[in-house]
Amino acid sequence: MKISLGWLREYVDCRLPLAELEALLRRAGLEVAGVEERGLAIANVVVAEILESVQHPNADRLSVCKVDDGSAHPRQIVCGAKNYKVGDKVPLALPGAVLPGDFKIKSGKLRGVESEGMMCSAKELRLAEDAQGLLILPPAAKPGTPLTELFPAETILELEITPNRSDWLSHVGVAREIAVFTGNTVTPPRPALPASTTRVPGLLADGADKSTCYTLRKISGVKVGPSPQWLVDRLASVGLRSINNVVDVTNFVLFELGQPLHAFDAAKLSGSLRVRSSVEGETFEALDGKSHPLPAGSLVIADESGPVALAGVMGGESTSVTESTTEIVLESAFFDPSRVRRAARATGLFSDSSYRFERGVDPEGVFMASARATELILQLAGGTASEDLQTAGEIPARQQITLSPDRVRSLLGLEISDSEIEAALARVGLGCVGSSAWEIPGYRRELHRPVDLIEEVARVAGLENVPSRTQGIFAPGSEADAAYDFAMGLRRTLAGGGFHEARTATLLSGVEAGPFGDSVALRNPLGDDQSRLRNSLFPGLFAALRRNIDQGSKSIALFEIGRVFASEGESERLALVATGDLQAADWRGEPVRSRDIFDLLGVVQNLANAETRPLPNPPAPFGVAVEILVDGKSIGTAGQLHPAAARELGATAPVLAAVFDLVVWRPLATRQTKVSPLAKFPGSTRDIAFTAPLSLPYGDVRAAIISLQEPLLESIHLFDLFTDARGEKIPSDKKSLALTLGFRSPDRTLTAEEVQAATDRIKATLRGQPGLEFRE
Amino acid sequence: MQDQVESLRNEALAIVSAATDQSALEAARVRFLGKNGAVTALSEGMRHVPKEDRPAMGKLLNDLRSTVTTALEEAQSRILEQADTAALSELDLTLPGTARARGSLHPLTQLLDRAVQSFRRMGFAIADGPDIETEWHCFDALNTPADHPARNDQDTFYLPDGRLLRSHTSSVQIRVMENTPPPVRIIAPGSAYRRDEVDATHLAQFTQMEGLYVAEHVTLGDLKGTLEFFFRELFGSGTEIQFRPHFFPFTEPSYEIDIRAEALGGEWMELAGCGMVDPAVFEAVCKRRGDRVYDPGRVSGFAFGFGLERLAMMVSRIPDIRMLVENDLRFLKQF
Repeated sequence: MKISLGWLREYVDCRLPLAELEALLRRAGLEVAGVEERGLAIANVVVAEILESVQHPNADRLSVCKVDDGSAHPRQIVCGAKNYKVGDKVPLALPGAVLPGDFKIKSGKLRGVESEGMMCSAKELRLAEDAQGLLILPPAAKPGTPLTELFPAETILELEITPNRSDWLSHVGVAREIAVFTGNTVTPPRPALPASTTRVPGLLADGADKSTCYTLRKISGVKVGPSPQWLVDRLASVGLRSINNVVDVTNFVLFELGQPLHAFDAAKLSGSLRVRSSVEGETFEALDGKSHPLPAGSLVIADESGPVALAGVMGGESTSVTESTTEIVLESAFFDPSRVRRAARATGLFSDSSYRFERGVDPEGVFMASARATELILQLAGGTASEDLQTAGEIPARQQITLSPDRVRSLLGLEISDSEIEAALARVGLGCVGSSAWEIPGYRRELHRPVDLIEEVARVAGLENVPSRTQGIFAPGSEADAAYDFAMGLRRTLAGGGFHEARTATLLSGVEAGPFGDSVALRNPLGDDQSRLRNSLFPGLFAALRRNIDQGSKSIALFEIGRVFASEGESERLALVATGDLQAADWRGEPVRSRDIFDLLGVVQNLANAETRPLPNPPAPFGVAVEILVDGKSIGTAGQLHPAAARELGATAPVLAAVFDLVVWRPLATRQTKVSPLAKFPGSTRDIAFTAPLSLPYGDVRAAIISLQEPLLESIHLFDLFTDARGEKIPSDKKSLALTLGFRSPDRTLTAEEVQAATDRIKATLRGQPGLEFRE
Repeated sequence: MQDQVESLRNEALAIVSAATDQSALEAARVRFLGKNGAVTALSEGMRHVPKEDRPAMGKLLNDLRSTVTTALEEAQSRILEQADTAALSELDLTLPGTARARGSLHPLTQLLDRAVQSFRRMGFAIADGPDIETEWHCFDALNTPADHPARNDQDTFYLPDGRLLRSHTSSVQIRVMENTPPPVRIIAPGSAYRRDEVDATHLAQFTQMEGLYVAEHVTLGDLKGTLEFFFRELFGSGTEIQFRPHFFPFTEPSYEIDIRAEALGGEWMELAGCGMVDPAVFEAVCKRRGDRVYDPGRVSGFAFGFGLERLAMMVSRIPDIRMLVENDLRFLKQF
């Protein structure tokens, strides 16, 4: 919303420094989003006519001019510009002028020649961003005229209006607010109201009468033509271009009082006007020249031929005021905000009128705005106004609200006396009607509850006067707190382990979600690529992986903790992806190894203190995978992508991934540790080494040893695994394994004999595995 | 024999002092003090020494042995010291360290966690709600008119069944009051969604922190004190904070909070919305609960909310909001 300061000053004294005015408006709740300075506000710059121009005796690029500055004697000016000719009118900064950039103009010698001022370019006066040469003024400009008269200074404020304050959508409305905070008086226009009003019940059809107040006034003998400069300037200041004097007046009053008006060409109306609901299949040709189909039930102004205006939104092309119009019917009305909003939405027509009606205009201002526009039309276009105003519908009665001063004090936490509260409310324009009862004027109809008045008191009193209080109840921790802490713990552990936290988008494409089962679709996505809610964290992480591979990263380890969505509900997941070098190469020259699945298994087993069990049928996106188990319950899956899938991501090393269901995992992870006693007696170890068929899983070997339930066996540690594809050291279908077996008793030091006996029993069992042979 | 002792002592001391490493020293020890060493051999000669001279000769020999022993010990520590010194002086401490690469927490997580910890110090607990919300929780209960523009298909994502992706975390306020009687003192960090085309300053999905405190006698002064404390904790005690009257359907009075802090680049920035919970919100909750524990005549409360992306961008001078979701390691590794 553009507000011109010059225009505003017609209604209220606001001669404050701009920064103070901005601060005052902010305090009121009016955010100043921008300030635009137009025109010129520099003293001692006048129109000058160039009388002669000769070459400077000592400088090739300079000229010496004689100019007429309106005084009795010509003035001598040295000038560097070339774009003028003798007889041109140009701006002349006289000695004493201060140009933008604090550039003070003085008399002095330039290369030995006296110069008594400076002729200026548009840029030097900040009338344009960029301009070469002198600003050539219209030939009609009279020498000596202050340039501020040719370019009147104007300050335009761009205000952000909150949707509750439709009264601020006009200059008088903003003036009223400034008066609240400065204590100055507002002087809105006071046009003479028509001598009489006639109620015309037929004006409103059934179904159109609710919340509508409608007025029409006839003005005959008008002469439609161009608007005077002051009106053109006013409209330009708020970004409107002039159309003709009648239409301009309606727009002027809209921005002055906030009341939308419409002028019909009476000659183009067939029969009398009626406000009614549109019927099925009706169309309306608006001022935009297009025909709009109307949804049944839209509020329209219609004559006998059909709709001539969409109520509160836009007038029609066929009845608009043109140069040939001599008789007009001026509409000033109040319409139901939600009906206007629906109509604007349905037709896609949005106007300064609909913008205001949607937010609610002052129903009490309907008559006043009609009178104001009539007064201006008569003044600018001549003619005679009907002494009578046709009206229909009711102006809603003013509401009364009772406010307890104690409630004000207790909600604001502010010591404020009853009389201060009363003063504050009176200042915002409410009328006191008995003890603590307040009457709400039409322009503040959004005030309808006691709390709304409390807000007004707070606004006037200023929040800076409310003492800050730092206290509160004790709050018990919640499940969400526990979940937050659990997730943060995982984040920190993973970050310490070399993983970088990623955040990927929740919205993805159907193609991305496809491999992970059903997903929830949006009804109104921004595009196909964001049409579904993620059912897995992997698509986002794989995209991140690919991005980093493309960018040349040799080692990538990412994780994300976030929500996934299914038709049954939402759940929290942790996912990891990693590929490439385990470590950066360093100056020791040790070989750098790529991460493999066992690096991931180590991370997963440590992170969750979990066991892993191979999955015979790996789920998407894995080529091989294990189930992650805590206390026998599955909390997730880890594995390696199928090499083809890895290649598709551009990876040259195995791509590893894991996913955990935090909702299942958390209750299993938060048990209290119970300490085991520390060993009092030394243990013993024995190494065993054997070859076995390649097809025998290590897990089977380990399970066979454990199944023996050797009471002294404390640990099994695989310390070597060797295969030889060429069959030179061991056959190519065999592998060699070496284990360290750890033995310990809690109550004595073991003898060599009992350790050997236990080892022998283990070896005997292992010999039972087909194809397993000890290397003795 | 006295001469022999003297010359052996000189020979031994010369050899020991010339030794420059451990093995030379060991050779010297064996040569003089070993089982077949020179000092031992000389001791054998005591048998031929006249009886009366034996004590004196014995003393000479003992002196010799202890002199050589002491010299060996001294040489031993000299050599060790030299080796230790050499071992340290050879280290080139300008070589780069070789730690395993560490990972990082996302900048939004880091900022969010600072905020969470600050509110926890003030006694706020965390609350949670679904991203997929009902229109009632996201709009109706929050006193948003049925034809409010925010409910548009243009602004809010909908599911075919009429539910939506919450356009603000304020829906969690309703979830909490629905399920917990007062007093409540919660913060709710989470995702929110708006149908914005993605550009340098907009994402369709963003992160918000919501807060709600409802109890008896909660005042605007509590709101002010809480948020002033919070923003000064986060951005330093010199942080300037202004509450500017504003409008939200679910609070009355409502304010926007403008902040100026060195940590945020020293410019005023609009940072958060807040206000006293609107009585209509309490009424909606009462109606849903079927009781009057949130009767606006009995309890009052404040609520606030702010976005984290823009804050993180200011704090870390991130030029483009999309960097927060691109997960480029060159970016992430800086945190």
